[in-house]
Amino acid sequence: MIELAVRLPLARFTLALDATLAAGVTAVLGPSGAGKTSLLETIAGLRPAARGRIAVDGETLQDDAAGRRLPPERRRVGYVPQDAGLFPHLRVGENVRFGPAAAKAAADAAVEILELGPLLRRWPATLSGGERQRVALARAVATRPRVLLLDEPLAALDPGLRGRILPWLARVREAWAVPTLYVTHNVGEALALAGEALVLRDGRVSARGEPLALLAAPGLTDAATPGIENLLGGRVVAHEPDGGVTRVALDGGPALAVPLAAASPPGARVTVAVRAEDVLVLDQPIRGLSARNLFRVRITAVRRTGADALLHCTPAGGARPWVVRLTPAAVATMGLAAGRDAWLAVKSHSVRLL
Amino acid sequence: MPGADDWGVVLLTLRVAAVATCVVVPPGIAAALLLARWRGPGKGLVETALALPLVLPPTAIGLLLLEALGRRSAVGAWLAARGIELLFTWRAAVLATAVMAFPLFVRAARTAFEEVDPRLVRLARTLGCGRVAAFRRVVLPLAWRGLLAGTVLAFSRALGEFGATIMAAGNIPGRTQTLALAIFHAHQLGDDRRALRLVALTVGLAFAALWTAEWVVRRRSRREAAG
Repeated sequence: MIELAVRLPLARFTLALDATLAAGVTAVLGPSGAGKTSLLETIAGLRPAARGRIAVDGETLQDDAAGRRLPPERRRVGYVPQDAGLFPHLRVGENVRFGPAAAKAAADAAVEILELGPLLRRWPATLSGGERQRVALARAVATRPRVLLLDEPLAALDPGLRGRILPWLARVREAWAVPTLYVTHNVGEALALAGEALVLRDGRVSARGEPLALLAAPGLTDAATPGIENLLGGRVVAHEPDGGVTRVALDGGPALAVPLAAASPPGARVTVAVRAEDVLVLDQPIRGLSARNLFRVRITAVRRTGADALLHCTPAGGARPWVVRLTPAAVATMGLAAGRDAWLAVKSHSVRLL
Repeated sequence: MPGADDWGVVLLTLRVAAVATCVVVPPGIAAALLLARWRGPGKGLVETALALPLVLPPTAIGLLLLEALGRRSAVGAWLAARGIELLFTWRAAVLATAVMAFPLFVRAARTAFEEVDPRLVRLARTLGCGRVAAFRRVVLPLAWRGLLAGTVLAFSRALGEFGATIMAAGNIPGRTQTLALAIFHAHQLGDDRRALRLVALTVGLAFAALWTAEWVVRRRSRREAAG
């Protein structure tokens, strides 16, 4: 839990934020210059002019009324700036273990989970953008932070690479379960990772809620629709080499058939990704469909965003909701609305195992 | 061939230049950091004052040192009362060359510090480094090239310093006569062969110093560029 009551005078406005954020990932959305980075720097203790109170999981990092203010090095925040900020004079391994608070076990786990083993002896200058972000993430989590502050970790990457880094962030979310503030102006990322989102505008919270509910928030819709992914955790159940599929049981259901992935043994934890536009919506379970995955859901919300409509669907059994992208025409013709039941169909080859 | 006298001059010069460089570097780093990071009032004034020895004639600096340390001055009297003799000793040569070399080192070091991305320093803080640790582990390693360049510059300046040294330390063979002074002196006495021998030694020294610095920098860069 992160408790914030901060004031920070900036050039055009004062950042003024009072919020209590639940554990898990909170997305901080908003246009450029809304004060998102300043908020992260305030929590990290890098803004001497910031006043107020900041507490994480009951530990007070700053409370000016009580005269308490931990210096940045004692706050134990894991800060990952937009450009990764690797130390150019140190190899990847030395970067990961840089923090005096970095514990060997935590650093080793970070290297393993973010698959940095082959990169450890490389210099930062020789890494790709995506590799840099992974190293910066590992360096941050290796210090076993109380809170993770991620400043647009994907913004510097091209869209293709973003899709490849997102799963690593999902892994960090699953493996460390550290309260996380995730700054982005891409609602797709927020939908994939965050349970809650704040929209910051001129230093103030202009909207707050589930990421999907915020799609209609002004100023965000344009950036919202491209790249929305459903990222879901699950376990490998079995491989069916003859059928060319691997069965994966998603947490809370349903089970999916994905393209054969023999490298992950049965029981292994995996994350699957399905793009929002790769999901078909049916109003009844038809037979004779080639798609291997068909499951029943309840539509919990329908949002119009720019030229598209987004459906929020919860599978029977209360698993993580799915986001489906349709044309508004399809929504109108089929009469899709919140509260109705429907079936989602997903081709095996639309499911990527991460 | 250079004789024992000539090697004596070389040794004295090396000693003066080396000690002067050691005297210059620590306060030079402090001054450079201050100038690179401090945004307070009066910064321009401090900057200008620090750069003065670059533009004043070295003899003027030497004369000022002479006045400041002479027995009539407060500092000189204080030193004399404690039996510390500075003027016209090799220590005065050190002081004179240090004063001349100081602004050169500060310029180079300041540029080196300014080129270190301050965000990296702040990142090091969030990772658990205090101010001193962040300086030692991020700023110094990233600025070392510029600091080394500044050190070589200061050392070279100290090797060749003439005006301030001759004013404050005199031209006493075997005691304060460094290479620059000895060349002048030999030439004045009409011994141009000795003057030329000393010039050759000076060229050798300067070449060795610069080449060593180049070599260290290049070796390190190759290592860092290697993937």
